[in-house]
Amino acid sequence: MKGGAVTTTSVPLDDATLVSRARDGDVRAYEQLVLRYQGLMFRLALKMLHHRGDAEDVVQEVFLSVWRKLGQLHDDHAFVGWLYRSTTNRCLNVIRARKPQADVDLELAESPRRDAQPEHAAQVSGQLEALNSALQTLTPQQRACWLLREVHGRSYDEIGEIVGANPTAVRGRIARARAQLAEVMKAWR
Amino acid sequence: MAVNEDYALPCGRDVDTIWDRLDRDTDEHDQDCPHCRTAREGLLALRSATRELIDEPDPTPPDLLGRIMSAVRAEVRRGQMLDLASAEPGGVAVSTQAIAVVLRYAADSAGGVRARRVRVRQVGVDAAGAAQVAAELTLTVRLGNSAGAETLARVRELVSAAATARVGITLVSLNLLVEDVYEDGE
Repeated sequence: MKGGAVTTTSVPLDDATLVSRARDGDVRAYEQLVLRYQGLMFRLALKMLHHRGDAEDVVQEVFLSVWRKLGQLHDDHAFVGWLYRSTTNRCLNVIRARKPQADVDLELAESPRRDAQPEHAAQVSGQLEALNSALQTLTPQQRACWLLREVHGRSYDEIGEIVGANPTAVRGRIARARAQLAEVMKAWR
Repeated sequence: MAVNEDYALPCGRDVDTIWDRLDRDTDEHDQDCPHCRTAREGLLALRSATRELIDEPDPTPPDLLGRIMSAVRAEVRRGQMLDLASAEPGGVAVSTQAIAVVLRYAADSAGGVRARRVRVRQVGVDAAGAAQVAAELTLTVRLGNSAGAETLARVRELVSAAATARVGITLVSLNLLVEDVYEDGE
């Protein structure tokens, strides 16, 4: 990396250290955090929104607003939960702001940019395609809870914190989502 | 649980129960009940598709990091400016944030310790017109670092030396606060 070697020690630093440094205004420390978590947040936003451009915008806004508000984060260990909360909320806002028909018209929704990864495009199985479309038939809240649990491995308690619901409600949404998805996926067995 | 009642199968079992039992041995009911068998098939297909989804290559656009960081850099907080001693007219100033970066780096080089927050505060002006500075460093120490006192003494020495040699300020006080520990590989 160019410039000072301040935050580029050979051993990657722990999150809490990077967060404290970033809060002090250390841009390089923040860059390490962005590098570490942008992929996870982008993946979540992409599956939530089913639109690459919208997902990019959301992730960019999330990291900029988190940088601005770092001073308000009192527990350095809470950083990842904060990112998830911010990304999920912004995705739900984008969906809310969409025209009603835009949400259901899957044919018009932009699919992941295949041309950039042709070797992968060939391998995208029918089964995965079916899951991706089925995900868009869930309510946004169900989709968020299901993705956070099954793809991002967060606990019911963590998801409750992220979406602002109690763990019992989260468990219920995930159960509904799972039953609905399984119904669609039967055809692929 | 009430929320799951919608997904009770005609046989009385609900989808969640079958999900929890996917990897267990099937009992007689699992094998004989057509509702449970169908639900099981769907859940197995869902699980396999989910694994595929998790294993998809990282889709992050290559220019996203650059876009985020240029937006962040446009909003960098420079912090307070402190005067340095200068023989020339016009004066030289340095931001507290730049000082923090130098002090943090000096502390890290002690080994077995990582600097976190750095507070730099001007407490006076010396005869040459340079700022007199009080600094406070918050640290995290490697778990199992048995020579804690020596490490901190080394941090103190390196940080004071860096302040003088690399920035040109004199630290009139330096507080070190150990607030956390980290493990190797963390």
